[in-house]
Amino acid sequence: MDEAQGTLEEVRDDTGARLGMWFFILSELLFFGGMFILYSAYRYKNPTAFHLASMELDVALGTLNTLVLLTSSLSVAISIAAIQRGERKISIVLLIITVLLGLLFLVNKGFEWGIKIEHGLYPNSSVLLGRPKGEILFFGLYYVMTGLHGLHVLVGVAVFSVMLRFILRDKINQTRFVPLENAGLYWHLVDILWLFLFPLFYLIR
Amino acid sequence: MAVFQEPVRSMKPLMRYRTYLRVWLGLILLTGITVSVAGRGLGGWAILIALAIAGTKSGLVLSYFMHLKSERLRIFKILIPLVIAIFLVFILLTFSDVAFRGGAK
Repeated sequence: MDEAQGTLEEVRDDTGARLGMWFFILSELLFFGGMFILYSAYRYKNPTAFHLASMELDVALGTLNTLVLLTSSLSVAISIAAIQRGERKISIVLLIITVLLGLLFLVNKGFEWGIKIEHGLYPNSSVLLGRPKGEILFFGLYYVMTGLHGLHVLVGVAVFSVMLRFILRDKINQTRFVPLENAGLYWHLVDILWLFLFPLFYLIR
Repeated sequence: MAVFQEPVRSMKPLMRYRTYLRVWLGLILLTGITVSVAGRGLGGWAILIALAIAGTKSGLVLSYFMHLKSERLRIFKILIPLVIAIFLVFILLTFSDVAFRGGAK
């Protein structure tokens, strides 16, 4: 195979890869940032309506989801630390836990949305359109922002599943783990976004 | 064939498991504080406190979980605060625009 031509050396640029992920993260911040700014403007204009609408969200579920994501950030961080130490089994278990926590977040979100939709509160519903303008805006922002965030969670879960496969096939190991690290960076971003979404939507009391 | 060689990552000291756990505990605690402060009817202050805590939690995640603290390249440490600062300016500008508008909501 390659022996006849000499060793084919692998070109790696771990720093470049990490830098690339950080730039992607910055672009994501701008993406969500635009919506946060929109939220700010509408909340400023409709303080009472936002307050009333926020009371209809389930703080317990929101808090649970916050704890779920924070713990999943811990589990992926330790998973990466473990693979750096060559502790493959710990890394695999913790990555599985991270995936499960991500799925748990999505299940909770599904429940939340389901309850709201059952009560007729969804974009363009007649129930919602009969409400004050500020409340319509609140729920519009709620569905769009938590929806896009949920999509990001789903993507993160999918990416981690692929990383898991890589570890099992030794494509990620103690000497090359940058893909897992980058996936972790993405996940921490998703966590940070929720850290802001949570108080802004659930805690206007 | 010349290959770009990266200094071996293991030369940078690895963060201990314990550090991650401690940061996580801090995050959980701050979450508890956020939620309990929310119910206290502090009015306008509540949102500022909530955002301040959220900012602190994000700082912890960025520094420890995302390894910004132990990052050797200074560009990362400059980029993130810079972007957040630009963001805050955007929000400030938006508010000062919206606050001085007359007319229909």
